[in-house]
Parts: sequence; structure tokens; C-alpha cells
Amino acid sequence: MDAQFAVAGKDFAISVTDKTAASSIVKMKHNEDKTYELTPHTLMSVSGEPGDTSNFSEYIQGNVRLYGVRNLQELTPSETASFVRGELATALRSRRPYQVNMLVLGYDAKAGDASIYWIDYLAAMAKVPYAAHGYCGYFLYSVLDREYRPDITLEQGMDIIKKCMVALKTRFLIQYSDYTIKVVDSAGVRVVSMDDI
Amino acid sequence: MSIMQYNGSAVVAMVGKNCVAIAADKRLGQRALTVDMDFQKVFPVTDRTYVGLPGLATDVKTLSDRFRMRVNLYRHREERVIEPETFANMVSQIMYERRFGPYFVEPVVAGLDKKNKPFICGMDLLGCLNYANDFVVSGTASDNLFGMCESLWEPDLEPEELFETISQCLLNAVDRDAVSGWGAVVHIITPDGVITRDLKCRMD
Amino acid sequence: MRTATAVAAPIEAHGHNHWSPYVDNGGTTLAIAGEDYVLVASDTRQSDGYAINSRYEPKAFVLSNNAVLGTSGCVADAKRLCEVLEQRAQLYQHKHDRQISTPALARLLSNTMYNRRMLPYYVFPVLAGLDSEGRGAAYAYDAIGSMERVTNSCFGSAETLIQPFLDNQVARNNQRGADPERLLTRQEALKIAIDAFTSATERDIYTGDYLEIFIIDAAGVHKETRELKHD
Repeated sequence: MDAQFAVAGKDFAISVTDKTAASSIVKMKHNEDKTYELTPHTLMSVSGEPGDTSNFSEYIQGNVRLYGVRNLQELTPSETASFVRGELATALRSRRPYQVNMLVLGYDAKAGDASIYWIDYLAAMAKVPYAAHGYCGYFLYSVLDREYRPDITLEQGMDIIKKCMVALKTRFLIQYSDYTIKVVDSAGVRVVSMDDI
Repeated sequence: MSIMQYNGSAVVAMVGKNCVAIAADKRLGQRALTVDMDFQKVFPVTDRTYVGLPGLATDVKTLSDRFRMRVNLYRHREERVIEPETFANMVSQIMYERRFGPYFVEPVVAGLDKKNKPFICGMDLLGCLNYANDFVVSGTASDNLFGMCESLWEPDLEPEELFETISQCLLNAVDRDAVSGWGAVVHIITPDGVITRDLKCRMD
Repeated sequence: MRTATAVAAPIEAHGHNHWSPYVDNGGTTLAIAGEDYVLVASDTRQSDGYAINSRYEPKAFVLSNNAVLGTSGCVADAKRLCEVLEQRAQLYQHKHDRQISTPALARLLSNTMYNRRMLPYYVFPVLAGLDSEGRGAAYAYDAIGSMERVTNSCFGSAETLIQPFLDNQVARNNQRGADPERLLTRQEALKIAIDAFTSATERDIYTGDYLEIFIIDAAGVHKETRELKHD
């Protein structure tokens, strides 16, 4: 029931997640941040089984950061995504698999491009220009297919994000009151306020 | 719907005159929802051996990585490049290793051996080898591919003829399958090198 | 009542021991429509599971108005459907003092099948004949009477094998520069029908033995029989 989607341009990627932490029919929290900064230029948004999400994400975050400290060299977004997938795939065939869907967004400083990696709870991975997980996908892929162009600017990217939110507001049974919007680009990861878009 | 149909896929390999071809669709979906239209299912193993992995997308990734590791180890240990038939047996062994918790993939191997003799073979998800000297098909559109290949394929096709044949087989097969298609890629393996072409096709 | 210790007599079990009124007898039928003819081809194998009931049991029937009804699915239902259709065509003849046209018969077949919406005939028919302008007309149906006029269609156990081939060779899908509107000549259609069945027979265990081809034109119905593989 989480909202989780992302759009990437040539040199930036935008992540959107809702801020609700729900338990059954109850909203337990209204300011949950469902994203994790793995490296200064890599962001991971997660959804799925509560508990699994934070447990797995913190494990990944710890190890990706440890790699950076040990090797004085951060993992690139593609390497990070590969690592995440590998860990999830190993866990998938263990006694208790993690049920988490992820989007790994990153800016590769060396290559100078941004990317999104879509990873589902089965650890299937795909490099995509835009992505969504869960019920969101059923509403947003049509919007994204229509609006997305490979050469969009950050402002145009934000416009697409807004259109996605409108689609969810008008057609999805669940109403999300607030979203965490984060941009990853050459400057690193920054939060964008809902009021600024 | 079985787990083999969860992501959707179609892979076909064919023998020609001193050449082989392997082709696959490019869709990745979650049941009826299409997620990616550029998902590769065919991977180069050596310069002249390719493997196609239709089935569950997570295992496509896991297996392609495992195969790469095992083929690299083989090259280091043996100081030679792996032959397609040897590779097929390696794949079979890796699949059967997981006899009671299988990878949900039915691999297809295609390549030219050191004497430039074409080699293709298919496999079930447990690693049971199926050699063929005409064509092998696999994935959610396998019935459709069987019908197409059985009627369009003929012996001793030259590389360009083989390209046309395998392309027509794949395109018309995936057009009648709801969960595969959305683009296609064809590799023609000849003694002089590999020709790779992306096919433009219906996106519905 | 049979007790748990009693040895059960071998009974025909369908699925999980639930009796079903339907049986799939396998087999395949296709139709190709041309400018002044229409072709129906079907194999003659009749099977039940892994057993072959008959190697020659035709499932395409010539009707009184020179239309051909090709069937697949449950043979019992197919034969009954054919009878009912013939009866209703006869009634039409008596009522209107003229033979029913193929388009009218096509609609009649649709209605006949939809009448049984709640316990359908397990039949996937193709009806072929000439329309009022003398053009080849083929109609394809689902089991509850949904109808479409088509230039090519295939139903039955080898449907998944043959239909993509017909899309490619008859409708010319995915053939760049080809004219999708061009209808096949009689010879082309015959060749493609035979090719389709010889290919399908290689891979589908329920299709084989003999191939019956009906070509319907202004002169009437012409039948040809070919041998398919018996294995």
C-alpha cells in the first residue's frame, strides 16, 4: 500500500515515497522517511513488509558505507544495485526471505549520468528510466509512459512527479497526504519540499 | 499462473549452414504489468557461445552471473575457451545442483564449436538436456514458437536467411502471447563473428 | 455405498474425481477465406487423454446449404450442435422457401450457441461458406457464440502452433512491405493449410492421421484428403 516511484533524467533522478507508516488500518506515523542514503550519490527507496524494510535497508546501508570506508572509494550506483540484488537473492532462497521492493537511484560522477534500478522482492532487477512499485505501478506507468522523455530537465521531471501525484489523488482509493521527494544529482542527495514543486 | 509465467519470456535458437542464431524478447513484467522493455535474456558466454535464459527474472540474473563466474574459472583452470557442448553440460550441472529447489529458468545454449560446427540445446529447469539439430524453443511463447519454427525452418540456411527466419518466428510467436514481446534481439553467430540486431516490433 | 476398504472399480476420472460433462477430444480445425472461395481444413484424429478413439473421425461437416462447419473441442457436443444447426436451417427453408445464406447461418449459429450460455456446447466452431456477393466468408466463434468474420482462424489442440503461422502467412503480419489486404489464391491457401497441419502434427500429439480439406466455391464443395503422420 506504499507509494513509491522515481524518474531519472540525464544527470538527475527524483525519488518519491509516501510518509505513512501503517499497521493494519491504522496510520502509526505521518513523517516516515522510506529512503536510505547508501553513498553520497546513491539513494534507495523501499517498500514492503514493515520490519523487513528497515532491517534489510540498514544492513545494506551499513555494508555499502563500510565498503566506502575500507576502500576509500565509493560503490557506483550500478555496483550498489548489484550488491543489493545479490544480498536479496541470497536471502530469497533462505529460511526467511526479505519481502522488500526497492528502487536504487544514483548519480555516477565518473560517467556523469543518473540511473534508476528497479528491484522487486524476488530480486529481479532492471535498469529503467522511470519506475514504480506495488499498486502505484498500475496507476503511474501509463502517466510515465506518456510524459517521459529521455532529455527532460529537472523542472520537467518535477512536473511529471506532480502529474503522478494527481493521478494517485484522483484514481487511487488510498489518499496520501504527504510525500518525501528527494533529488539525486552531481551535488548529492537533497530533499525537496512539497511546497517547492 | 505458474511462477514460470510470472515475468514472461520467449527464447529461440536455430541452426543454419555453419552458423547458429539465438533470439529473445525483451519484456520484463509482473504478471500483466510491463515493467521494462529492455530486459536482456540472452548473454554471451564466449565469443561464439550464447545462452538464453527465459523464466523467472531473478533467476535469469542469478544464473547469468553464476555462469559468468564458472566460465571464467574454467578459462583460468584449463587455459582455453569453453566449448558450447561443455558449457551446456556445465549449465545442466548447475541446474541439477538445485534439484529440490530449482532455478525457474529453462536455458537455451547456442554456439559454434572449435570446428565451426553448430551446436544448440535446450534444457528444462532441472537441467535435463535436449539436443537438437534444427531448433529449440523456450519460455511462455514456446508453443507458438514450436508452430512457427516447425513450419518456417529449413536446413542449411545462410546467416542472412537464418536471421530472417528466426526473426519471423519470434515476432509472430510473441504477438500471440500476452506476456512476452515488447522488443526483441537476435544474435547470429558465424565463424567470422557475431551479428547482433534489435528488432522493432509491436509493443502491445 | 462403497466402503473405504473396497477396491474401487476403474472409473473414468476427470481432474480431481469430479465428474465433468465435458471431454476435450483434441484435434484442430482451420479456415482461410479467399476472394471467391473459402477453405476449411481439419485433422481426423479423435482422442481422449492419451487414448486414440479413432484415426478417421471427421470433425468438419458439410451442411445442406453448402457451408462447412469445422469444429474442435468435445465431439459429442460438436455433432449435436451440427444436428441442431441443420434442423434450424431446415426450418428456415420450410418457413421462407429458400435456402439459408451463409451470413444468416453464421448468425443463427451464434444464437444457437448463446442459447446455451449456462451450459455451453464445448465446441469452438468455424463456419465457412460464400456470402451474398460470392466472396469467401469464414466465421470464428468461441464456445458461447461470440462471432467474428475472419480471413483466417484456427481452433483446437494445435491452435497455439498454427495461429501465429496463419497470422504471418495469411494476414502477413510482421512482413515489411507486404499487402495485408491481399487474399490468398486457392493454391496458396491449400499449400499453407497443408504446411500448417504437417508442422502441427510433428509437435501436437492430438493432431494427426488424416487431413480433410474442404474448398467451397460457386461450383460447390470440393473435398480433398491428405495423409498426416500416424504417430
